[in-house]
Amino acid sequence: MTMFKKSLLALALAPSLAAFSSLAASLAITNAKVYSATEQGVLEGATVIVDNGVISAINPASVEADQVVDAKGKVLTPGFIGSMNQLGLVEVGAVANSRDARDKKADITFDASLAFNPKTSVIPYTRKGGITTNVSVPQGGDSIFKGQAFVTELTGDFDSVIATDKAVIVSLGAKSKGSRAMDLQNLIDELESAEKAHSKMAKSQSSKKADKKKSSESDKEPSKKEQLMAKVITGQLPVIVYADRAIDLVQLIKLKDKFGINLVIAGAEDGAVVADKLAKAEIPVIINPISNLPGGFDSLHNSLKNAELLTSAGVKIALTVGGDTHNLYQLRYNAGNAVANGLTKEQAIAAISANVADIFGLDTGRVAVGQKADLVLWSADPLDLNSHVEQMWISGQEYGTESRQDALRKRYTADTDMPRAYTK
Amino acid sequence: MQKLAPSLLVAAVAIGLTGCGQQERQDAKVTVNKDPYPSTYQPLPAAKTLITNATVLTGTGERIDNADVLFADGKVVSVGQSLSDADATVIDAKGKWLTPGIIDVHSHLGVYPSPSVESHADGNEMTAPVTAEVWSEHSVWPQDPGFQAARAGGVTTLQILPGSANLIGGRGVTLRNVPGHTMQSMKFPNAPYGLKMACGENPKRVYGSRTEAPQTRMGNMAGYREAWHLATEYKRAWDKYEADYAAGLNPEAPERNVQLDTLKGVLDGEILIHNHCYKAEEMAMMIDLGKEFNYHAGTFHHAVEAYKIADLLADNGNCAAMWPDWWGFKMEAYDMVLENVAIVDAMKNSCAVVHSDSSSTIQRLNQEAGKVLYRAQDAGFELTEQDAIVWITSNAAKSLGIEDVTGSLETGKKADVVLWNMNPFSVYAQAEQVFVDGAKVYDRFDPKYQAKSDFLLGQP
Repeated sequence: MTMFKKSLLALALAPSLAAFSSLAASLAITNAKVYSATEQGVLEGATVIVDNGVISAINPASVEADQVVDAKGKVLTPGFIGSMNQLGLVEVGAVANSRDARDKKADITFDASLAFNPKTSVIPYTRKGGITTNVSVPQGGDSIFKGQAFVTELTGDFDSVIATDKAVIVSLGAKSKGSRAMDLQNLIDELESAEKAHSKMAKSQSSKKADKKKSSESDKEPSKKEQLMAKVITGQLPVIVYADRAIDLVQLIKLKDKFGINLVIAGAEDGAVVADKLAKAEIPVIINPISNLPGGFDSLHNSLKNAELLTSAGVKIALTVGGDTHNLYQLRYNAGNAVANGLTKEQAIAAISANVADIFGLDTGRVAVGQKADLVLWSADPLDLNSHVEQMWISGQEYGTESRQDALRKRYTADTDMPRAYTK
Repeated sequence: MQKLAPSLLVAAVAIGLTGCGQQERQDAKVTVNKDPYPSTYQPLPAAKTLITNATVLTGTGERIDNADVLFADGKVVSVGQSLSDADATVIDAKGKWLTPGIIDVHSHLGVYPSPSVESHADGNEMTAPVTAEVWSEHSVWPQDPGFQAARAGGVTTLQILPGSANLIGGRGVTLRNVPGHTMQSMKFPNAPYGLKMACGENPKRVYGSRTEAPQTRMGNMAGYREAWHLATEYKRAWDKYEADYAAGLNPEAPERNVQLDTLKGVLDGEILIHNHCYKAEEMAMMIDLGKEFNYHAGTFHHAVEAYKIADLLADNGNCAAMWPDWWGFKMEAYDMVLENVAIVDAMKNSCAVVHSDSSSTIQRLNQEAGKVLYRAQDAGFELTEQDAIVWITSNAAKSLGIEDVTGSLETGKKADVVLWNMNPFSVYAQAEQVFVDGAKVYDRFDPKYQAKSDFLLGQP
């Protein structure tokens, strides 16, 4: 037990992860083992060319670039994509005035991106997990409609919100007060109203063509809520519904059939029970693969096999991290656990990159020509515990993984006679 | 290991005292039964077992490649190479790893079980800031499906603690992770009780929001000090009674107080402190508080800022039981570093423990320790697998006061053993077989050894 006791002095000399280099006009990453998250699968010894923030070529005949990074055979993946968390909306969970993901009065129009803080200490820390893009979701208020999802790059820059209105979030299922039936009925009512409004608008537009004089009421600008519901009912805007119990999922499948909405289910702890139905209805599912306990009567059949059971039934899955947003960096470990329980490594990587991009309509998540150059070079297997990010790029710009945690470690392992506060 | 006194019924061991020189007749001596809910645990049926060709992490800081482990009658017989035994069931573990059973010092399984319904919220007696009289064992629901899930993760021993709402929340109990339908049938024989204390935000929030004490951290300290003062007086009264009785007098026994019984147990060195405490300055004060009232401050749980006082913890013999990476959910968890465990561990005479406090991560304490191992290696610490296993085995046993009987693969210790399909610090690692007292309690490939809670049985 004594052989590993070592002076803290040596720790101060530990290499720190390099941060930041300026944006090269073009970048070549050579000799990489590329998990492309495409039908190309894994490309050994591959070269990826980035021009102006976009992947412009893979394995070109000749390599010409302003900057060349020799990957030395190491793994290159698409930047991973977090989702269903409150990144940028919460600094400290229990500190009320550092939280902006909830509001009692929030409804479907709640756009929490207006509160997004790119300078949260959670972002540099989360980059340690190779996450380059995130879909933050609001937690809403009393309404079943929790608000709208928005997409950010993990640059920490002021322009890092890259898309709003990417999905509408709805919460159904078990309630501590009242009946879940009321919530489902509420959702059905809203969809029926939206459908009526949509067909009325379609009619009025065609009648307007016939009678250009007709005006006033039908020309009134629809409310923000009506606009969003119109996008929902026409399938332009995905609806992400939290639900776990198998029959709740069956009810939702019926809603998709009836209204033609672009439905995604999140949670789905008993989803494996109805995996075939979900697959047939082409409903993607976002799950936390390490959630396996029966947390309530909606998840009695929860298990570590969920990711594999859903995938093998043909359901497109995305993986997420349960609980506190500060744990988001663990996303790749969750994917690794899904592999330990039956997914292939390629399936698991796709479930934290390409599949998430597909669900939310993002032009990232794959190492493919034309995709945004969100790339991560790993020291070893990206899903295992012994690897770390060696280099990462967001839209072709390199970012580091140094965080406040590293500053604290260095302060308290530095060799000094002075109070630690002088070590900066 | 501090063993509790054998079970004595409350009251009365009469001693005949009629001899000469006796000045007064002594009444029957009043004795407090320290073990009124005794363990009925019996090991499961076990065969003599020889596991061969494994990579063995002993839990004592050693790694032995291509090693064999023989266990019989519930105990480790030998650990070495080229062992043989004609009577033993042989398991060829070529390419696999063998470790001591995982020990979690901080669990709420059974007291905050799955399903987490209101009827099952039995972990926090939030009715007064000092509830040393409550015992977590009285809340344990043995049918919590989490016990089975933890067993599949290699957990063989776990301490069930009350929650952290109170300054002094009550006794914790150490369990064997075997299926049982009474708490007593899971109770670790002769393990000392723990006493849960809590620093910081939780007690002051719970009571402060009711405009009751404590409302501040200074209120927290005042609350502990008042409790320990009363306990000191109580102990003094009982010690005087014992001394007077021993001297042949016929003293009147002090009035029994079940809250103070527990605190006196700490002052007597029989009950070990387990203190939910995140921040450096608070842990430093809790160490002094122990000195003020003559008890040892025990293990600090969560201890997110332990790295700031690693020297103080080592100097005072305090364990710190930590997560690898939880942070940010409240202010006192804001200063996390991923190398916290490694920095604590780097001190001489340290006792770094990785704990779960979670029905989810208790299933993956090997991975939790692995996160620390590899992040610390990245930061320049010279740590290996044989070091990391200590955080979830022998140091955990030390924290619970059971290190003499479990926590490492050494001759004579309990055969609490986990066979892993690979290096246990990989995200892909799975416990294949788990043994408690030499008996197989879990087999990943044999449903016969996969227990199922009553709760989940027959659910459509």
